[in-house]
Amino acid sequence: MSSTESMAGTEGVTISRTGQQGAFGGELLTVNFGPHHPSTHGVLRLIVDLDGEQIKRLKPVIGYLHTGIEKQMEALRWQQGVVVTDRHDYLSPPINNLAYALAVERLMGVEAPPRAQALRVIMSELTRLSSHLVWLGTSGLELGAMSMLMYCFRERETILDMNEEISGFRMHTSYIRPGGVMADATPRFLDMLASFVKEMPGHVDEYEDLLTMNPIWRARTIGIGRLSPEDAKVLGASGPMIRGSGIAWDLRKTMPYSGYESYDFEVATSDACDCYGRYLVRIKEMREAVKILDQALQRLPDGPVNVDDRKMLPPPREELETSMEAVIHHFKLFTEGYSVPAGDVYVAVESGRGENGCYIVSDGTHKPRRVKFRSASFVNLQALERMALNHMIADMIAIIGTADTVLGDVDR
Amino acid sequence: MGIEDLAESLGQNVLTTTLGKVIGWGRGNSVWPAQFGLACCAIEMIATATAGVDIARFGSEAMRASPRQADLMIVSGRVSQKMAPILRTVYDQMPEPKWVISMGACASTGGVFNNYALLQGVDKIVPVDVYIPGCPPRPEDLLNALMILQERIKAQGILPRQ
Amino acid sequence: MIADNLITERGVSAGDEWITVPADNVHEALAALKGEGYRLLVFLTCVDHLVDQSRPSWPGRYELVYQLRDVEKLRELRVRAFVDGDPPEIESATDLFPPADWDERETYDLFGVRFKGHPELTRILMPDDWVGHPLRRDYPVGGEVVEFSEEHQRWQTPPDRA
Repeated sequence: MSSTESMAGTEGVTISRTGQQGAFGGELLTVNFGPHHPSTHGVLRLIVDLDGEQIKRLKPVIGYLHTGIEKQMEALRWQQGVVVTDRHDYLSPPINNLAYALAVERLMGVEAPPRAQALRVIMSELTRLSSHLVWLGTSGLELGAMSMLMYCFRERETILDMNEEISGFRMHTSYIRPGGVMADATPRFLDMLASFVKEMPGHVDEYEDLLTMNPIWRARTIGIGRLSPEDAKVLGASGPMIRGSGIAWDLRKTMPYSGYESYDFEVATSDACDCYGRYLVRIKEMREAVKILDQALQRLPDGPVNVDDRKMLPPPREELETSMEAVIHHFKLFTEGYSVPAGDVYVAVESGRGENGCYIVSDGTHKPRRVKFRSASFVNLQALERMALNHMIADMIAIIGTADTVLGDVDR
Repeated sequence: MGIEDLAESLGQNVLTTTLGKVIGWGRGNSVWPAQFGLACCAIEMIATATAGVDIARFGSEAMRASPRQADLMIVSGRVSQKMAPILRTVYDQMPEPKWVISMGACASTGGVFNNYALLQGVDKIVPVDVYIPGCPPRPEDLLNALMILQERIKAQGILPRQ
Repeated sequence: MIADNLITERGVSAGDEWITVPADNVHEALAALKGEGYRLLVFLTCVDHLVDQSRPSWPGRYELVYQLRDVEKLRELRVRAFVDGDPPEIESATDLFPPADWDERETYDLFGVRFKGHPELTRILMPDDWVGHPLRRDYPVGGEVVEFSEEHQRWQTPPDRA
């Protein structure tokens, strides 16, 4: 293998010969695919051994987007780290924030007030929707349904406008922070959310009209990329990957956080175990997300959105002008930050891709000793070879597409 | 046929200009970007191509998968040390004349990630024409950068690049 | 329950149960726990306790952390093992838990911990020719010196006044 690997170039697709005989009388070819290839969802590189057009061996090569986020977190103070968490799984920033915030809160022994919890649920579900929309748009594009991209990004823009309204930023909101959320929801945000909840089910119907019964879409996805329930369990897959294999594992139900246990929603599963099944799971999840949003909006509790802890969060602006103590707290927080009791904690939340976990080790100082992100894409990508074996090379695009790996999440 | 007859037959259909202006106009209004999505900014780059903002209004909707058909590289996202040689290879494969837009804080300076893994600015390996601030920049920012680049291309004409 | 002689320490940290096992018996302990129902390895990672003041003494510099989950009974257990040495070595868990494959490669890449019995222990995130293991505490964060930052000040102040 070493000789063929050295022949493989680093851009686009290069082909090299192995000299081995394939089952169809031809020679096995090693094809280098990526890291700069339009349909690998980022900078994923795959080294594929092909017999004719059949995949006989597949080896993902990752690390082309390694950002050193975990090292960077060690150099930042606890409250600064939130900004960096946004950027590892860049399609679901608030969910990354949530995992980090919950972990820090558990170490500190505080809990966010009910209104903050509801706002966190709202942001998580909006993010899940926008993440699935990007997935649907790009996967549709890769399998020939170009109009999907236009439709999906239309609704995604609506969600991003809401993000902007509530946090001032389109993508990397840093909205969910240890101790609560950045700011209370504006009345305009709640109006936008209400009209979005009303419109979104119709849009999901639109997507289904375009794809669910579309013969080309079905031909490209049904029976492709089978992942049996046993394999899914053994390989540690999570999110739509394991639910698409018929196992109802959803952290929002099994290990609830942020008050998810009080919402009424179903866990989307499909027994198809193939790319089509994963597509159905994501469509169903979009519908369920809208249901959760509706419930959260109906019973959004009143009250503060942050814990009342001056050691953790800055005092309100008005207090700074009257209270010397508030000024001292403010100064301490922004020069030194707060310290978190020594210990370690692991918190997992359900992102659009699966189990998005955050493992934090604190040594009692104002900076974390170690932050590890357990990313769903990193684990799901290991199942790629199992799914793609003995399929045609063109089907690999569908398989990578429905695995929905975000390379920023894989490489961190 | 005399020159007067020629002028009469052509009527108002003649426009005199310089070759540089024509070439600049043609090049500037059909900048084809290479599809070089790296990280978060790539999503905003895709958003720029969709109906809401529509980069096609500026003649740049033809995102080419192959660098050999492209004349603009939009470096959208953070460039890791591992990705840097590949980025340079892709740049080298693009035919002249070519331009580079460095999209976002990470591509321009390393952004919030001042660490071992990232290239602190893509201008260390390729010449950059336009930098876009933001993390990630809005689609409108990318359009603005494209318009700035178009002005430059039009001003350049047939002269070789400085 | 796994044999008590395997557990050197146990406790609860912020609601998470954990046990410590000797580094030499990690494989044995994990196999026993897998038999008890902890069938899923959620993640595997390493923590570098170089100059860590939060405890008077650490059994070893590198702490390997295995987060296990029992999906039927919905319980989790964290297994710790401390190793020392250069390079630190420990038994691989890939034969018990397939997801450990890439996690161990990552831990090798970023911390330099060698896993005995791993089928292909190569770098996974950093380039193959990278020198050093970036997530060790004695490896600098890297990047460039930022003006007006703490580092910049340290860099400008002469050593005798720093």
